Amino acid sequence: MLELLSYDFMQRSLLAAALVGALCSVIGVFVVLRGLAFVGAGTAHAAFAGVALAYLIGFPPLPLAILFGLATVWVTGIMEEQGRMKLDVSIGILYTATMALAILFIGLMKTYNAEVYGYLFGSVLSVTSDELDIILALSCLVLGIIVLFSKELYFIAFDQEMAEASGVPARRMYYLLLTLIALTMVVSLKTVGAILVFAMVLIPASTAYQLTHSLSHMTAYAVVIGTASAVGGVLLSYVWDVPTGPAIVLLATAIFFGSVLFSPKRLRRMTA
Amino acid sequence: MAHSIVRFEHATFGFSGVIALKDVTLEITSGEFVGVIGPNGSGKTTLCKAILGLMRPLAGTLQIFDCSCEKLQCYHRAKIGYLPQKGTIDRNFPITVLETVMMGRYGVLGLLKRPRKADRDIALETLSHVGMLDHRHDALGQLSGGQQQRVFIARALAQQPQVLLLDEPTTGIDIVTQHSVLDLIKRLHQDLGLTIVLITHDINMIRLHVDRLVLLKTKLYAAGPPADVLKPDILSQVYGKDLVITDKDVVIVEDYHHHA
Repeated sequence: MLELLSYDFMQRSLLAAALVGALCSVIGVFVVLRGLAFVGAGTAHAAFAGVALAYLIGFPPLPLAILFGLATVWVTGIMEEQGRMKLDVSIGILYTATMALAILFIGLMKTYNAEVYGYLFGSVLSVTSDELDIILALSCLVLGIIVLFSKELYFIAFDQEMAEASGVPARRMYYLLLTLIALTMVVSLKTVGAILVFAMVLIPASTAYQLTHSLSHMTAYAVVIGTASAVGGVLLSYVWDVPTGPAIVLLATAIFFGSVLFSPKRLRRMTA
Repeated sequence: MAHSIVRFEHATFGFSGVIALKDVTLEITSGEFVGVIGPNGSGKTTLCKAILGLMRPLAGTLQIFDCSCEKLQCYHRAKIGYLPQKGTIDRNFPITVLETVMMGRYGVLGLLKRPRKADRDIALETLSHVGMLDHRHDALGQLSGGQQQRVFIARALAQQPQVLLLDEPTTGIDIVTQHSVLDLIKRLHQDLGLTIVLITHDINMIRLHVDRLVLLKTKLYAAGPPADVLKPDILSQVYGKDLVITDKDVVIVEDYHHHA
């Protein structure tokens, strides 16, 4: 087991998985509390469409993934704010439209490109050191912003109207949160893929939600669970020779069901 | 010397083509205890949003503190402690009582400033004001409706506001708790010298406690001491003749919404 850690690729994948696991679970706390789960899923697919377009026209994938992701969350936010459409409807439309775009872009490619599919299903074991640098930089940026604005982000997650009434620039903070969700999706595309990243955002935070009635504890638990299942999943996938993305997600899911069974909140409700 | 907290001058409010409040002229000065009454849909909550600067007048002017409401900044809003109408809170939302009250400090502190021990002390002090200090580590969702209401009042107080704006603070809680919440509000008014604006549909509950009543029904029907406002001829204009019965000091306005 230990010799495993001496491989360069293994060190890179473990570090990438740990970073993405931590980042997704922190943003997941706000996603779960503010009820933005669907936004996360939609953005990941939009970012994937950006990647597909980049491969089609021979562009670097990162800028286009960011562009598509940000455009999707902002359009959704504006449509919701103007009361034209419910959030789940507009994101549902953009979700499928961007996925259709992605399939279109892939179809237009003259040759089969396996790398594109790496962004759909994730390939943490093939993360290059350049990619790791980008993941590291973007993770630090997003986590740094979350730390700086954590009190405002918690407040709007709890009650946005109340936050605004008591002097927090709630609207701007909401757009900041949407932006951070989009960036998190982009960072995670390469490692866990557009489909499974959604699980990395939702599962650790929902697991932590079962375990505590304190905001700060929930965040701490989510980070520990997210990082542990990401790292554990990579190791399991290597040891059992199974795909990494599913290994991470299924491990996290197992922890989630364990937490549901042993949730102190649930147990208290049963005894009450 | 009492100074002006809010001043409406011929202010009209509405949204998407519907006028919610028309031509309101009203001044609330510091240290007052004002009750705002009126039937459902009479514009009480609109008045509340206006005072918070979240709704601009379509016509007329609104001055909040020393500032016209168009120019209102976040730090102005932080000087108004607001208790929203009791909604249903998610009982499983993971937040403790102290974490809830600390949120009252967030707007006051402003962006990029971390809450410090002084802020925590303020939160603890307000919790003791409302008699909930012992519950500070409890889950908010596990408290009773009246206890939650106390915690939300503590959160508003943690802003160290000049005004406490309460939207239906006694609705949806049992009658004993209603009285204890009202006693608490009265005590805060007397002990801390807070200006109180209390919105309610329950006239009998507050008529003995307020300095002034404001009667709304899409416009301002009357404003003044309770004895001047609670007159049969004024009330029947708002509530309809059959619904108002006055007997000596007791005013009965039948709550026809519950019968509808």
